[in-house]
Order: sequence, then structure tokens, then C-alpha cells
Amino acid sequence: MPEDNKKKEPDFLFPSWLKASFDMWSKAAQTMPAFEEDGQKFKAETSNRFIEQWQKNINLMKSFSKTMSEPESTAAAINAINTLPEIILKMAKSGWDAGFKTQSHILEKAGNIGRRAEAYNFDNLDQEVFKALTDIYEKELRQYFYIPQMGLTRFYQERINEMLDKKNLFETTLAEFLSIIYLPIEKSFKVFQEKLQDMAQKGELPKEAKDNYAIWVKILEGHYMSLFKSDEYTDALHNTLERMEDFVVAKNEALRDILQFLPIPTTKEMDELYREFYLLKKRVKELEKKVKPV
Amino acid sequence: MAQAKIPVDLILEKLAQSTEETQKRVSRASDILLSPLNTEAAVTPFEIVYAEDRIKLKHYSRSETAENKLKTPLLVIYALINRETMLDLQPDRSVVQTFLKSGIDLYMMDWGYPTRKDRYVSIDDHVNGYINNTVDFIREKSGISKINLMGICVGGSMCTMYSALHPDKIKNLITTVTPSSFDTDKGLLHVWMKNLDVDKMINAFGNIPGDLMNFGFLLLNPARLMIDKYVGFTEFMDNKDFVENFMRMERWIFDSPDVPGETFRQLIEDCYKRNLLIQSKMYLDGKRVDLKKLTMPLLNFYGKFDHLVPPEACEQLTSAVGSKDVEDVCIETGHIGIYVSSKAQKQFAPKIVRWLKDRDEEESPRQKVQTKRKSAVKLQKPFVESKAPEQQNIQANPLAKTDIKTGRQKVNRSRSLLIQKITEAI
Repeated sequence: MPEDNKKKEPDFLFPSWLKASFDMWSKAAQTMPAFEEDGQKFKAETSNRFIEQWQKNINLMKSFSKTMSEPESTAAAINAINTLPEIILKMAKSGWDAGFKTQSHILEKAGNIGRRAEAYNFDNLDQEVFKALTDIYEKELRQYFYIPQMGLTRFYQERINEMLDKKNLFETTLAEFLSIIYLPIEKSFKVFQEKLQDMAQKGELPKEAKDNYAIWVKILEGHYMSLFKSDEYTDALHNTLERMEDFVVAKNEALRDILQFLPIPTTKEMDELYREFYLLKKRVKELEKKVKPV
Repeated sequence: MAQAKIPVDLILEKLAQSTEETQKRVSRASDILLSPLNTEAAVTPFEIVYAEDRIKLKHYSRSETAENKLKTPLLVIYALINRETMLDLQPDRSVVQTFLKSGIDLYMMDWGYPTRKDRYVSIDDHVNGYINNTVDFIREKSGISKINLMGICVGGSMCTMYSALHPDKIKNLITTVTPSSFDTDKGLLHVWMKNLDVDKMINAFGNIPGDLMNFGFLLLNPARLMIDKYVGFTEFMDNKDFVENFMRMERWIFDSPDVPGETFRQLIEDCYKRNLLIQSKMYLDGKRVDLKKLTMPLLNFYGKFDHLVPPEACEQLTSAVGSKDVEDVCIETGHIGIYVSSKAQKQFAPKIVRWLKDRDEEESPRQKVQTKRKSAVKLQKPFVESKAPEQQNIQANPLAKTDIKTGRQKVNRSRSLLIQKITEAI
């Protein structure tokens, strides 16, 4: 498009649009009953809140159109319109940059997840995979739940986030614990197979299914006993229990917010009451004992 | 190496036979499971004679025809985990009925089901509150100054504390599978409890959920308690008596009240972690539990194969107390088997009756006994799955026909072995 046309087009269109706009708001105002021509006051014959608000809006639009139709204002507005694409381009560019940086950051985090996974020895898949999962979650993902919250609902949102975080932690730990619990079953089948092979070679293979089962269950029991005595199992058990407790506490905290909206007392409130009752009962019983001999 | 001959034809034949038997068994079992079953436990009649908060005191009517009725009533204090109905699980395995037939005036504490409001109730409240109040009630009702006290598991630990704090109210003390020395690595429970963050647990749960504890107990022996037990059930599920007894046991095992939070905290901190009781360093309501003040006769039972409360946790009590009339009795069974296994039924309750009767006439603890009888009496032979000769023959020639009597004996023995295995695994 030629340069002259670019400038002329707003010059030609804008005053016409302003005039049409002014006419439209004037006519709209005239449709209202008991409207004074100067437009500043409204005779409130049937005055109510809605009509008052409507009138104020009409007056505002009308005065805006009137102001803008003055030559100085029109020129300023046309200049502003001419520079608008440039402003929009700048805004879009900075927005794109920010978005790109965030994306790069996320990709970097994802790369970290990959690097962390590489650090584990997956030859021993059963044990390492859960440690890797927990580690990845703790170091790369859980901080998203702790982005500072803002506004009126910030504390509620924080508690919900904490509950979700504790739930994830509990689930990863539980998965590890269950995999450990399953290990003896896996091992017992292997040992059982070897034993059967050995018995077959000696010609002592059990003929009844329940004899086979008895051999297997005895092997399984032995493996469980060995596992339960190991520090790894004790650590996993305590870890799982503690993560479950963390989750229960966080869940209760989040639920408390919901209960406060309902006519239901929270556990914390009831515990406080129970404690008072407990102490009072104790005092009454002591006093009863003191009074009895008299 | 020469390849051994595998009797494939024999194995397949047995498999076919076994499949056919299983089909018939499942068909019979479905009839039984769909018919009305009597799985009620604790059917011996009793009367509630005292109640306070959640607790109730049961009083049983003893047999009027019993010879040498005991003058001194017996109060049984069960543990806070599971319920006292275990002592009266089924008519032919009932410690309660043995006591009543032997002329014991029996009272039993029912701890009830703690709710959230009981979370602050401590060991002191149980010992110096509930137990003391029921003891006083029985003393007043019977018009005597001292009663007999019997404790089970942690209930026994609380009875030990009570007897040391109130020796003037207890004539004889019987502790059964009672942990008194907690510093041992023999039982898995003892190992696991040592690193438990009990404050965090109570903060999360308030009271300790019975289901959580039951899950912990199942984990002590999952092969037996989560697999083998139910496989065993399928083997005898076409027998109505067996199914009813199995279901009674199953109901009892999972009927677990929660444990009050504060009581659990003290049990873990003072007993499992710091082992204060056996050292006479434990305090209840500001008073030291000095075991040297426990001067009444003491009979201490424990199970050789008990993996919840191993012998090492029980056997030191008799040396630590001030009494000179003490006896340890080691029964070769598990934690629950001591009360419900058929063999222990013949040994456990009758021994208590004899021991109490010997001491019922005397008004004060035996002064004449100067030396401690510290001998672990073995009442039962080790449980060995040895096979009778005829059964060995059956094993050698599985297809040989057996006469009906031998077959029935074998089935009965297997059923009783299963119940035995279950009770020992607990």
C-alpha cells in the first residue's frame, strides 16, 4: 500500500466514525424518558438504580465522543492509531521472549530429569527405579507445588498444594515399599524352580500339587524372614509410614478448610474440647476421692 | 549325569484326581457357605457389673457343681490390642469355660472401642484409674481385701505395674505372654518399634487405628498369615465345623479396637524405646513402678515360638520382682496358640487353676518359700509335623486304598494342624 494512503485512510475514517458515534449515543439517550437536552441532569420521575447507571454511561460515552470530535483530539488519536502496530509488535515480542524463556527452563528441567535417571544403575531395576522416581520428583517437580500463592485464597491453595505434594511423596514411597515386599515372592519362585530341578534329577519330584505348594511356601517364609531382618526393609517401612502420616496431616489440614464452610466441627476443634473434658474429668475424680473419706 | 526318570503319568493321574476332588469340595463348600453358620464367639453368659467411660466389667457365673471353689475372685485384664473374646472363642477352646468349670469366680475387663475422645487417656489412667476402680469394686462386692489378677500381653504389663503400685490389693498375679523387658532384637515388633516416630503418628491419627496395627501384624509373617492360611481354608472348606471355627478366628483377628494415642505414646517411649519397666524406672502419675514392691506370688507364662512377644521379652520378670514365690512356664507354641490351640487348652488353663487353688487357702503370700523357683517348665512337646507310620505308607504309595478310619483320622489331624498353624503364626 502506498505511504500516502496509509496516512490518509485514518484521517478520512476516524472523524466520520466519531460523528456517527456521537449521533448514535445522542439518539440512544433520547430514547430514555424525561431526558434534558443538556444531558447533564436526569429528571428521576421513575428513578431507580438501573436507569441512573444507564444514564451515567450514556453521558460518559457522549461526552467522550464530543471531546474526540474536536480537531486537536482527532489528530492526537490518529497519531496514536498510526503507532499502534509498533506498540503491539513490541508487546508481542517481549511476551514471546518470556514464553520462550519459560519453555527453555522447562526443557532444561526435563533434561535434568533425564540426567538424574542416568545417574542410577538400572541393572538392578527393581530397587533403583523407585529411588530414581522419588529423587526426580523431589528435586525437579515438587517445587512447583511451592510456588508462592497470592491473594485472598492463597492459604487455601497452599494447603491443597501441600496435600498433593504429600500424596505424591507417599505414593512414590509406597510403590518402593510394595516392590520390596514383592521381592521374596519373586525370589521364592526362582529358588523353588531350582529346587524342583534338583529333586527331579534325584527322582524325588513331589507327586501332589499341595506338596509342591508346601515347599514353595516354606521357601517364601524363609525369604520374608531374611527380608524383615534387613535394615533396608526397616528403613522402607518407617519411611512409608512417615510419608503416610505426612499425607494424612496435610489432607486433614486441607479438609479443615472445607469443613469450616459446613456446620461440622473440625478434628482439631474436637481434640481441643476432648482435652478439656479429659482434664476436667480427671480433676473431678481426684476431688471425688478426696471428698469420699470425709 | 544320568537323567532321572520323572513319573509324569503318576503326576498327571494325581492331578486329575485332585481336580475332581476339588470340584466336589467346592460344590459341598458352596452349600455350607450359603447355609446359616454359627460364627458367634464369646457365647458364655456374663453380666456387666461395672461400667466406666468406655470400659465394662464382665462377671461370669461359675459352675455350681465345681469342686473346691476358689474363694478369691480372678480378674482378667486383656491387652488393648484385639479383644478379650479370644479367651472364649469357641466352646471346646474356651479358657473362660475351663475356669468356670474349675470353680473360679471370674471377672473380665472389656476395654471397649476407644474413640477420638479417648486419645488423651494414658497408661496411668488405665492402671491407676480403670484397673484400680474395678479391683476396688470386686473387693467391695466380694468382701475381701485382695483378689487374683491375670494379665494378657500388654494387659499383663499393666497388671505388673498395678501390682507393684498396689501390692496390698493383689493376692496372686498371673502374667501371660507379657512383655516386661523390651530391649531385645528377637521379635520383629521390638526392632520396628525402636525407630518409630510416635509423636508424628499420633499427630496424624489421634488414636492408633486397629487396622493399621493389624496390617503390621500381618506383615510379621505374610507367607503364613496372608497366603497359607487361606490356602489351608480352601482345603477344608467343605467341613461346617471347620468353616465356623475358622470364621470365628478370622472375626476375632480383625476385630481390633484403636489404641488411645497417649497410651501408645507412653508404651513406645517408656517401654519399647527406653525399657523402663524392667529397670523399675517407669513412672505413673509421678509414682515410680518399683518391681521390688511386687511381692505376691507370680506365675509367668510365655510362648517359645511367640514372635510378637518373644521369650526374651518375658522371662526376666520373675528375676526382677520382689516376690519369692515365682514360676516361669514356657509353652511351646505361639502368641495366641497359648490360649486357643487344642494342646495348650489342656495345659494352660488347668495349670492356672491348680496354681491358684494351691494358694487360695493362704491369707498372705507364701512366707515359707525362701528360694525362687525359676525354672522354665515345658508343658508341651515341640510341634513337629512328624507323620504316623500309616501316613508314611500313604505318602509312599499315594494311590493305595486306605481304610475309612485312617483317612478320617488323617483329615481330622490335618484340620487341627491348620488351626494349630494359624494360632502359632499369630
